[in-house]
Amino acid sequence: MAELLSPDLRGCTYFFLYDGSKVKEEGDATREGICYFYPEETPMDKQELLCGQLAGVARCVSELSSSSVRVLRLRRNKYAIRRKDDFLWALGSSVDVPTISVCELLDQLIDLFCFYNGSVRQSYQRNSREVLAMRWAQYLSHLQAGSSELHHIFSCLKTIDATNVDPLLLLKAALILQACQRCPLVLVGCILFRGRVVSTQMSPNLTMKVMVHESETYNKAHKPNGPSTSSSSGGTVSSITVFLTMSELQYLQSTPVDKGFKFHSTPHKDTIPKKTRLSRTLSDTPSTDSEPSDAGSTHSSQKVSFSPCLSASDNVFSPDPSENTTDLLHPPMQSQCPLSNGKSSHDAEEDESFYHSFHTNGGGMSQIGDSSGLEENSHLNGACGTVFDFRAAECGNEESHDHKVGEDSRRGSGGSAHGCSGATNSHNESPLVPMTLYLHRVKGLVLVLLVEPHFLSDTASMEEVYHSSLAALNGLEAHLRTIIPGPPGVQVPYVFAHFDCTQSTMTSNLSGRPGATHERPFVRATSLLHSHFCNTETLQEAIIRSAGAAVYGTRSVAQETYFLQHGGSLRNSGIPNHQDSAFTLPTKARHRLLKHGVNLL
Amino acid sequence: MKCLLIASESAEVLFNWTDPEFQQKIQEQYGASQEEGQRLPAFEDSISTLFAPIIISCITMVDRLGDSYASFTTENNHIYVLHQFDECLYIAVNGDGEEGEDDLRRKIYVMKKMIEVLFGMVTLSSNLLRRELRPQDTEQRARLWKHLQSLLETYSHIRENDQSFLVEAVERLIHPTLCEQCIEFLERRLVQQLNSSIERAGEEVMHAFILVHTKLLAFYSSRNASTLVTSDLLTLIIMAQNMYPSCIDLDDPSPEVGDAKRKAPVPGFFNLGVGTPRGVPFKCSSPVFEFVDPDIQMAEDSLQTLEVPPPDPSTPRRVFLEVSLKEGLYPMMPHSMYCLPLWPGITLVLLTKIPTSAVAMSVYTYLEAFAKLEKRLREGQEGSAATRGQPTIHDLRSKLDKFIKALGPSDIQEDQASTESKCATAPCWPQYVIADLLNNEFSFRFSLIPWCKNMKTQLCGIYRQCFLIDPGPSDVPRHLSPGLQERAQTLVQEKLMDWKDFLLVKSRRNITMVSYPDFPGLIHFICVDRSTGQMIAPSLNITERNTSELGKGPVAQFIKSKVWSLVNTTRRYLQKGYSTVTLRDGDFYFCYFLWFENETGYKLEAVDLPILPDDSPPIGMLSWDYYRKLRRYYSKNHQGEVVKCYELLTVHLGVIPSEIILQHCRQLASKLWEPSRNPLL
Repeated sequence: MAELLSPDLRGCTYFFLYDGSKVKEEGDATREGICYFYPEETPMDKQELLCGQLAGVARCVSELSSSSVRVLRLRRNKYAIRRKDDFLWALGSSVDVPTISVCELLDQLIDLFCFYNGSVRQSYQRNSREVLAMRWAQYLSHLQAGSSELHHIFSCLKTIDATNVDPLLLLKAALILQACQRCPLVLVGCILFRGRVVSTQMSPNLTMKVMVHESETYNKAHKPNGPSTSSSSGGTVSSITVFLTMSELQYLQSTPVDKGFKFHSTPHKDTIPKKTRLSRTLSDTPSTDSEPSDAGSTHSSQKVSFSPCLSASDNVFSPDPSENTTDLLHPPMQSQCPLSNGKSSHDAEEDESFYHSFHTNGGGMSQIGDSSGLEENSHLNGACGTVFDFRAAECGNEESHDHKVGEDSRRGSGGSAHGCSGATNSHNESPLVPMTLYLHRVKGLVLVLLVEPHFLSDTASMEEVYHSSLAALNGLEAHLRTIIPGPPGVQVPYVFAHFDCTQSTMTSNLSGRPGATHERPFVRATSLLHSHFCNTETLQEAIIRSAGAAVYGTRSVAQETYFLQHGGSLRNSGIPNHQDSAFTLPTKARHRLLKHGVNLL
Repeated sequence: MKCLLIASESAEVLFNWTDPEFQQKIQEQYGASQEEGQRLPAFEDSISTLFAPIIISCITMVDRLGDSYASFTTENNHIYVLHQFDECLYIAVNGDGEEGEDDLRRKIYVMKKMIEVLFGMVTLSSNLLRRELRPQDTEQRARLWKHLQSLLETYSHIRENDQSFLVEAVERLIHPTLCEQCIEFLERRLVQQLNSSIERAGEEVMHAFILVHTKLLAFYSSRNASTLVTSDLLTLIIMAQNMYPSCIDLDDPSPEVGDAKRKAPVPGFFNLGVGTPRGVPFKCSSPVFEFVDPDIQMAEDSLQTLEVPPPDPSTPRRVFLEVSLKEGLYPMMPHSMYCLPLWPGITLVLLTKIPTSAVAMSVYTYLEAFAKLEKRLREGQEGSAATRGQPTIHDLRSKLDKFIKALGPSDIQEDQASTESKCATAPCWPQYVIADLLNNEFSFRFSLIPWCKNMKTQLCGIYRQCFLIDPGPSDVPRHLSPGLQERAQTLVQEKLMDWKDFLLVKSRRNITMVSYPDFPGLIHFICVDRSTGQMIAPSLNITERNTSELGKGPVAQFIKSKVWSLVNTTRRYLQKGYSTVTLRDGDFYFCYFLWFENETGYKLEAVDLPILPDDSPPIGMLSWDYYRKLRRYYSKNHQGEVVKCYELLTVHLGVIPSEIILQHCRQLASKLWEPSRNPLL
C-alpha cells in the first residue's frame, strides 16, 4: 500500500499550444505545429512526443465521441485540453489539483491571450512565434505568480486587505470610478494598488485580465532601466488595445450605467453614494455611510456601479452644480449613450456616425497628434501600447502612429464606431471586439478604464477624465501608501479559507508559505471538498476527518468556506460518537469566523 | 453507450463488449464513411480500427515517457478509462452518464478478476492469455466472448440493483434458526455423503453454499478447507447468477416464476456455462438490455449462427480460487464449481478440490521462484546477489526436473499436447545456464532474463494443459457423476421444500426499516463487517407494485440513487485517507464511519490511513481486497492482535439535529454486531 503521500499542488507542469494545420502531411514534422511549449527548456523530442501523442489521442477520442476532449489524465499528470479549429491547447498539472481548477486555469490563460492579442490565428499570422511565446510565458507566470496552494484550487483576485484599510478610502476609490464613468466613452473601470484590487466595476474575469497588463507595466516601471517616461514621478497615462468577446461586451451593455443616476436621489437600496454629497475629499463624506464597505471594497463598488437597467439615453445628464465643471465642457457628448447598443437609440446612432465621420475625415490617428499633441512615448507590453503624457502636450508630433492603434482606426472605419463587426475574425471564432484600456498611473496606484476605441482621439474627453481624477488619485495613493500592513496575524488555533464565488475573492488566514507543512492537511481537504461541491449541486456542508485532522466545509450559492480547528483531543476510534469534537466544527466555525467578516448563519 | 475492450500491445482486440447504443454509434460512424452499397465491415474490425490509434498511443507513452493514459473526458461527458495489466490494455467507455470514472475503473478490475477466476495462472503469461482470450477458431471465440460478455452484463446488473454488490460484501439471509439448520444439514448430510461416495471421482467437496438470489442462506466449509475469500465468493455468486439469473427487479413472484420456468433447467441440466444464450438474463429486467434494433440484431447474427450446442450439462465449471494453507498462500488454485438449481432463484453451489491440484501448487511455487530469480537478475548488479542465488538455482533445477518427471506418467500423459509441452520444457534447462550463473558473468545475466520469462511461460503452459484444456471424452470419470449431483440436488430440495416460498420472499425483504422504530428520522443504513466480508442493510424495494416504507417508485428510486452515490463518494474520501464523512445534501444528512476493533470488541484508535492515487485499484472486496490490505496495514502497529474493520453508512432526514443523528449511528454501530453474532432481530 502506498505511503502517505504529500499532495503536490503545482498549478502548471506543462503547457503547449499546438497548431494542427501545420502538420497535415505525412512528412510534416511535429515541431512545425508546436507554437509554444512550457517549460521552454524541455528537450525538443519530448515536446514532440507530448504534443504529437496528446493531440493525436485527443483527436481520435473526439472522433469516437463526436465531441472534443476536455480532460486527459495520465498516471502522473492531468491535462486540461481545449480545441479551437486547428489549435489545441493543453495545460498539464499535478494530479492533486482539482480537475475543475486546471480547466479554469487553461480557460483563463486562453482568454488572457485573446484579450490582449485578439484572435489566435491572426496573432500568429501577424507576429512571430518568439514574440507570442513571450506573451504566453508572461500570462502563464502572471497566473501562477506568488500564488499559494489555495490559489491553484480557487482562482481568485488579489485584493487589498480590506481589514487594514479605512473604508472611506474604498468608498473614495469607488467614487473616482463613478466620476470617470460620467464620460460616456468610459465603459467600466477599476483601481489597483501595487497589483491588488482596491475597487472594481468590472466582472472578476475582466478585472483579472486587466491586472496582467497593470502588473506588467508596474514591474517594468520599477526596473532601474525601465522606460523613462513611465517612471517619471508624476502620473503617467498609457493605453493599449484589448479585445472583448461579444458576451463580455453584451454584459457591459446590458448593465448600462445611468449617467444621471449618481446625481439624482432616485432611491435605490444598497447604494451608498447617493446619500453622500459626492465630495472629492474624505472629510466631507459622512462617515455613517461608509459602514457597508466593511465587507470589502469591491463589494460596495459593484453594487454602486452596476445599477439596475435604466436606459441611459432616457436620462438627460444634468450635472450637479457643485460638481466638477469640466463635465460641462462637452455637453453634447454627455447626452450620448455609449453603452446602448445603437439599434434602439436614434440619437446614439447619429452620434456614432458623427463620430465616425469625424474620425475618418480628420485623417485617422494623425488627428490625435495634431489636436492634442499626444506623444507616443514608449511601447508597453510588447507591441501594442501607447503611452501618452499630457505634460508633453506642447511637443506634438505626428509620430503617434502606433501600428496597433492605426489598425484600430482602420477597423473602426470598417464598421460602426463600436467596432462590433469591425474585428470579426474567421467565421468559426466568436468575434472579438477591440476596445481600449486606458491606464492612469500614480506611483503604485493605477486607474484602469475600459474605454471606447475612439476615446483616444477625443482629446476633450481624455483630458476631462484625466483632470477630473488626477487629484483624487493622488490623494488616494498618498493614503494607501501610508497604510502599514497590519500586525502579523495573531496565532489562532484554526485555519480557514473563505471564497466568494461572485466576486472571486478569498479571505484566509493561511500563511500560504510553501514550507508550511502543517497547513497541508487543510489544503488537501479543501481541494477534495471543493471538487465535491463543484460536482454535487445539492451538497451544502460536509465534515471529513482523517486520524489527524477534521475539516468542515460549507457552501452557499455565493460562497464556500472551509474550516479546520487545530489541537484539541483528536484521539478517537472513528466510531460514531456524538461527543466527538469533529462534529462541533460547524458551530465553532460560525463563531470564530464572524470576526473575519465571514457570516455563516 | 457503454463499451469494454481488452487489447493486446499490438492493438489486437482480445475481447470486446458493447451495449446496443455503442454498437449502433460505431456502425453509424462506419456507415457514414462507407460507400453506398458496400457492406459494413464486421463489427469487430470497425471497433479495432477505431480504437487502434488510442491503443498505440498508449503504448508509445508507456515506452517513451514511462507514463500512460488513465482517462479521457470529453465535452459531452463521455468517459474513457484505460488501464494496463501486463501486456493487456483494458479500455472502458461510458457515454450515457450512468457511470463515472470510478465505476468504469471498477468494471475493468472486475473483468480482470473474472478472467483470473476463469483462466487461473494462465493470466500470468500475457502470451498465453492472449491466445486464450482470442482463440483462432472463430466459433470458439464467439462462444467465449459471449460468455464473458454475459458475465459482465450480469455483474453490471447486480451492481446496479443489489446493495451487497454495491458495497462488495456478502449479504446473508437473516434467519438464525433456519441458517443454523441448513449449515448443519450441509455438513452432516450433504458434504459428508458426497465425500464418502465413490462416484466423486477423486474430487472432494470443500465448500457448499445455498444462494437465494444473490443472498447467502447457508455456507459450509469442510474442516480441512481453507477459507473462501470474499472476493472469490462474490465472483462465484456472479457466475451462479449468470447461469441461473433471477429477476431482482420484480417484486411480484408470479411472472418471475413463469419466466424462470421457461428457462429453468430441467433437473440434471446444470452448468450451461459457455452456452448460456446471451441476453436471456435480462429479458425480464429492464428494457435497456433488449436488442430491438434490426441492424444490431443483424450484427449479432454473425455471433449467433456460431452457437453450438452447450457442452455436457453435468460438466462442472473450472474455477481458480485462492487457497491459504499452512505452507502459505496459493492464488488461483483449480476447483470445480457445481451449480445446482433447486428452484428458480434458489441455487446450491458445490466447490470441489480436484485430485491434481497439488500440481497447481507446484507450478505456482516454481513460477514464484522464477519470478524471484528474474527480479534478482534485474536488480542484482553486484555479484553477490547471484552468488547468494546459487544454491537456490541448483535446488530449483533438481526440483523442477523431478517435477517434470513426475508429471510424465501422470494421467495427462495420454494428452498429445502435454507431451509437446513437456518436450519443450526439458531442453530449456540447458547446461550453459548453470555455468553462466556459476561463472557469474555480468553479460550473461541479462541473457538469462528472457530465459526466465520463457520458463515462466512454459510453466503456465503446463498449468494450462493440466487445468484448462478439456481432455475430451474418456472412460475415466473426472468429476462428480451426474447421478451424484442429482442426488445432492434432491436432498437439499427435500430439506427446503417447505421453506422455499418463504425464502424467496425473505430474500426480497431481508430486513426492513420498519424493524427500527427507535430511530426516528433514520431512512436507511448499511453496515459492513469488512473482516468477514458481510453486510446488512434494510432492503430497498423500488418497484411500482409494492409500497415499502420508502414510499412508491420515484421516491424510493431517488433514495436508492442517493445511497448509490453516497457509497461512491465515501470511497473517494476513504481513498484519500478520510475515515469519517458527514454530508448535508439537499433534504438528507449522510454519515459514514470506518473504524477498527479488536476481537473482544474494543474500539481501536484511529490511525492515518494510506492516501492512494486516483488510479489505484477501486476500493472494495470484489476485484481487489482493499480492506484486507487496510487491516494488514493497521495491524503493523498492533502486532499479535486480530484487527477487525467495520463500516457504517446512514441516511437521515436533514431536519434531525446532528446530535441525535450521531446518537443513532452510535447505537446502530454497537447493536448491529453484538457478540451474539446475530444482528438485530
